[in-house]
Amino acid sequence: MSDKRNTVWSFFSSVKLTVSLLIVIAFTSILGTVIPQQEAVDTFVDRLSPGMVSVLRKLQLFDIYHSAWFMMLLFLLAINLIVCSADRWPVSWKRFRGISAPDKEEVLEDLPPGQLIHSEGAFHEEASRVEGVLKKLYGRVRRKDTESEILFIGEKGNASYLGVYLIHLSILVILAGMIIGFLFGYDAHMEIPEGESTDTVMLKRGGEFKKLNFTIQCDRFSVEYYEDGTPKMYRSELSFIKNGSNLQESAVLVNHPATFEGIRFYQASYGTVSSGAALILVGKGHNQKRIIKVAEGTEFDLPGKDGKAKILRMEENFMRMGPAVKIQITSSTQNVQFWVFQNIEEIEEANPGLRKHIPIFNPGLIAPYVFSLVAFQPKHYTGLQVNYDPGVPIVISGSCFLVAGFIVVFFYAHRQVWIGITSEVGKTRISVSGKTNKDSAGLTREISRLIKEIEKTGARSE
Amino acid sequence: MINTTILSWVTYVYFTAFVLYFMRMVRGTDIWGRMASITAVVGLIAHSAGLIMRWSESYTMGIGHAPLTNFYESLIFFAWTIVLLSLIFEWRIKHKGLGVFVLPLAFLAMAFASLSPNINSRIQPLIPALQSNWLTSHVMTCFMGYAAFAIAFGLACMHFAKNFTRSVTDSQSTFLRFLPSHEGIDELIYHSVALGFVFLSLGIITGSVWAHYAWGSYWSWDPKETWSLITWLIYAAMLHSRLVRGWRGTRMAFMAIIGFAAVLFTYLGVNYLPGLHSYLQS
Repeated sequence: MSDKRNTVWSFFSSVKLTVSLLIVIAFTSILGTVIPQQEAVDTFVDRLSPGMVSVLRKLQLFDIYHSAWFMMLLFLLAINLIVCSADRWPVSWKRFRGISAPDKEEVLEDLPPGQLIHSEGAFHEEASRVEGVLKKLYGRVRRKDTESEILFIGEKGNASYLGVYLIHLSILVILAGMIIGFLFGYDAHMEIPEGESTDTVMLKRGGEFKKLNFTIQCDRFSVEYYEDGTPKMYRSELSFIKNGSNLQESAVLVNHPATFEGIRFYQASYGTVSSGAALILVGKGHNQKRIIKVAEGTEFDLPGKDGKAKILRMEENFMRMGPAVKIQITSSTQNVQFWVFQNIEEIEEANPGLRKHIPIFNPGLIAPYVFSLVAFQPKHYTGLQVNYDPGVPIVISGSCFLVAGFIVVFFYAHRQVWIGITSEVGKTRISVSGKTNKDSAGLTREISRLIKEIEKTGARSE
Repeated sequence: MINTTILSWVTYVYFTAFVLYFMRMVRGTDIWGRMASITAVVGLIAHSAGLIMRWSESYTMGIGHAPLTNFYESLIFFAWTIVLLSLIFEWRIKHKGLGVFVLPLAFLAMAFASLSPNINSRIQPLIPALQSNWLTSHVMTCFMGYAAFAIAFGLACMHFAKNFTRSVTDSQSTFLRFLPSHEGIDELIYHSVALGFVFLSLGIITGSVWAHYAWGSYWSWDPKETWSLITWLIYAAMLHSRLVRGWRGTRMAFMAIIGFAAVLFTYLGVNYLPGLHSYLQS
């Protein structure tokens, strides 16, 4: 190994680098939440000088999370993770494989009396009894016989040395999944008016159009509201058509996407196509009533032909009070505008006197004419988000590794217990102690349990 | 609504518990500590009852959902997780020094929820974006994480309070005797941060699964997502500094405070940035 490679290796195997990278990535991520990104940029740019804009653009600050230098940081972190893990792996593997008992037995020196058992039993009998107890509680037990002493070492939780590698691996897997999604997947958007179909989506990245090899038809779109006017449900009924045959029908709701040929469709937005229609009842006094079918922009004569009415706007849920139509009346004597609500009785009940106080809500404004909205049938379009991401299963498996890794790292500890058996005059002394890589409180509990177990199976403690 | 009345009274119970914990520190007798714990437990029981009543009330209104869906409910739940975790820690470590530093956070969250005129305490129906089975698991894991970080923050304050008291008084002051040792505090900060880190990771994972179903992308760099990642990175740096580089004491306490500032920004500050997580603004 040359010196050069050594320097590179030690640079990438340092935890200082890891911590610095984590902090730099955190800091640059903050920038991305403060500076408007991607679509939000346009309105922000108007407030800056052109020179400033071009500098920010060059630094890729308007799309930080996809910028070359952010990728570079993630790439450095990945290399750092791999090198660090490779660098420490041999030691951890050795620890995982088993008892690395040093010849010195400091562990058993200067023990408090509570960790010593004095037994009447014979030396070798006691040894085999302790071995039995230990083998029941620990997966791995090693025995070392010397002239004056028999030493047992039992251990468990060795896997806790490997948990950290599982976590590092999971981060790499998640990053790999994200890269695969970035390279081979796409995000797109499409809008389909009710009753129509399309096979083209607009890509988010680049804004180009992409033709799918099947057609999506929007059979119906509906919105439901709660009593207080907040939206309850957006629902698109879609048909997926390929080569002229209808292969799948799915309802797409928020939180319930549909999948066809690996491509997912999400309810993202909706809108009213301008060609919606409404039925308006127009009357003069109590007779001369007639119903007119109107759309936005429709003009019609008032009964008696002494003026004109024009439909200015049609709203499906105007000010959270349901369907409404805005009408303009032009006649030789006046020019007024007002809203006509479909649910005027409920609105009156909830806001008594509303019509009187706010003339623009009063369809009886130009007596003797009266207007009411009989039916409103807007034609909607549904806005779907279209997403194809082959990286998702990889990211999911990475997340599972991550959780498993946390369980191993934080909830398992390596524990090694040492039991020394020595002969004293007429007695046998059993000393119990242990070592752990973390969680010393747990080890203390475990040692007292082990002592109880040894005492229970025979020998007397003094 | 009776549940909001109960919950606003719980605020005062927590304040009383805080005062009692404080009396324990000042007077140096353990009877205060016992009274403080009992008061905190009573508050937590009433708090839980309030949450359950709110939950069942939403079902009688016909819009049944877990009380985790707007800013008011999130503050109330945040306070609940803080008190729950703080009592669990107190019971596990058999030490009553934590309450003084942690209960004010719970009390402030409750007071803010109950008293601020801009916070709507009504039970509202779920908008379509929140109608998901992932709502409960996502919010619960996130707030358990936040609460564990809040405990670490309280412990860090304890660390600095201890340093400060030692510098101005002699080492025999009762105030000092009634706090754990520096090593003990350090160990506890590590444990609470590790716990919070696991829960935050679970919160991010459940959140991205949900986003995968709701927004069409498991990660969209929405400010809240980004800030949760920033928080995660800060605590990851902190854990690595301790586990590999052996940082202890004041450095860890300092990191715990920085980390909690990021948590608070993730929770509250992000609402002032535009993004997809706008449910809290109402």
